[in-house]
Amino acid sequence: MDMGIGLWCLQSTATNPRSFEQAYQELVDDARLAENNGIHSLWLSEHHAYYDGYCPALLPAASAALAATERLEVGTGVLLLPLHEPNRVANAVNLLDAQSQGRFQLGVGMGYRPIEFTIKDELISNRLQLMNSGLDALQTAVSAPTWVGVSSEKAARRAGRRGLGLFISGAFSRDVVNGLIAAHRTEWETSGSPGGTPPPIGLLRNLWIVDTESERRKALEWVRSSYLVYAGLGWGADKTGVDFVSQIEASMDEVERSATVGSAEEIAEDFEGYDVDLVVCRVGYDQPPRTALVEVIERIGQELSPLVQELGVQR
Amino acid sequence: MRLVLDLRKVSSHHDRRRLASEADQHGIWGTVVTGPPGSECVEAAAIAAVTSNLSIIVDVDGDAAHPTTLAEEVAVLDQISRRRTVLIFRGETTTKLSVVALLSGLSSQGVILSPPPAQTSVPVFDPEDIPEADLEGDLQNSAAIIDQYRDANTPFLIVSWDRPIKELARHLVGRAASPDFPQMVADLADEIDPIQ
Repeated sequence: MDMGIGLWCLQSTATNPRSFEQAYQELVDDARLAENNGIHSLWLSEHHAYYDGYCPALLPAASAALAATERLEVGTGVLLLPLHEPNRVANAVNLLDAQSQGRFQLGVGMGYRPIEFTIKDELISNRLQLMNSGLDALQTAVSAPTWVGVSSEKAARRAGRRGLGLFISGAFSRDVVNGLIAAHRTEWETSGSPGGTPPPIGLLRNLWIVDTESERRKALEWVRSSYLVYAGLGWGADKTGVDFVSQIEASMDEVERSATVGSAEEIAEDFEGYDVDLVVCRVGYDQPPRTALVEVIERIGQELSPLVQELGVQR
Repeated sequence: MRLVLDLRKVSSHHDRRRLASEADQHGIWGTVVTGPPGSECVEAAAIAAVTSNLSIIVDVDGDAAHPTTLAEEVAVLDQISRRRTVLIFRGETTTKLSVVALLSGLSSQGVILSPPPAQTSVPVFDPEDIPEADLEGDLQNSAAIIDQYRDANTPFLIVSWDRPIKELARHLVGRAASPDFPQMVADLADEIDPIQ
């Protein structure tokens, strides 16, 4: 099981305002730090037209992180494919793949905020159609590994049918995660096993390595407050099945319950039950001080990664 | 007049990064890069990551993208490059006007870029705004070409160059900057510190 870190969103939030130039400089610094500590990959995340500058153009950002490193993989978790021209994405991905000697991973998703479709002159009601035609275009045009961000079994099955990897987002319980993985695998097998080898599974987890109960409480507060960003993003987003605003306390409780906060040994033990290739440790919150972020990146690489090497899918 | 090293026809990305890095070290004002549609800002961001002084002119196909998408990519590039981004826009005037507005921090059809560019506004040029010169011949001929453009009050000149970057910096950057360039000093520098 590989350990990645995420999600780098390059924001300047109301909770932690900062300069964007600093945010992009820290992306490069963090990529080098992750590489020097043996971390497998760093993952970026995309939104558009949000007040805090949430990164709307992941591929130039990935390019800077890849150019500054030699071994680290850099991925998009996820690029919102219906909001881009697929042929332009393919050209950019192929350049990234060539320049980095295959260290770029393309994760794609559909998006859910109406404004993001409006500013691209698209209808959100067309998002599935746009996603499918985008994946059709990428399938033959792109050489980099492709993952699909999913939150439903239906979406997991669609990815399996195409032989694409799964990037499981959000704060799902173990049962839900395993249900998504099983749906994906079954569909892949019944579709004639496209690609020959089972497509990879990546799992995003809210996570922090701590030694004491007081550190644990603090880390959980960071995890809880990170949900505020999503509540803000969900403001005005309807038909997503998630009521971001009125259920904010309940949602924060759920995010806290699903977070993996403990010693490296406790976290490794928790990961034993997951049949995945990659865990993306979600540490890119906006609240922790820089020193705490640097420390947790070092500890994920030095303490957690060696403990989970033998876990998960063996291929 | 400022010189811009043309990397658009250099096929190896290793060579593009090496040349950009040398240009950065030797005080060349800028470089111009491009790529297949959609990859232009990816190429520019890789160059930005290995340089710190060079202006990065990104030559884009403006008709292949939604104007908001293109402006978002350029704004992110401007943050990554720390205000060193310049745009050559090839495409429809209406698209260009949207991109120019967005990259100036103005709203266009209700959209405001977030993040905005790091600069006050990203300069946007048409391809014909910046002349190009092939300096891949004799140094004396190159000097004459530089004199001609400089005396015509040209602000920027894109140059193709196939010899050491330090030679471009030593012999032609100062000449481009001033009609009083003392060629003798550059020639003596070649004797004291020969360029390999």
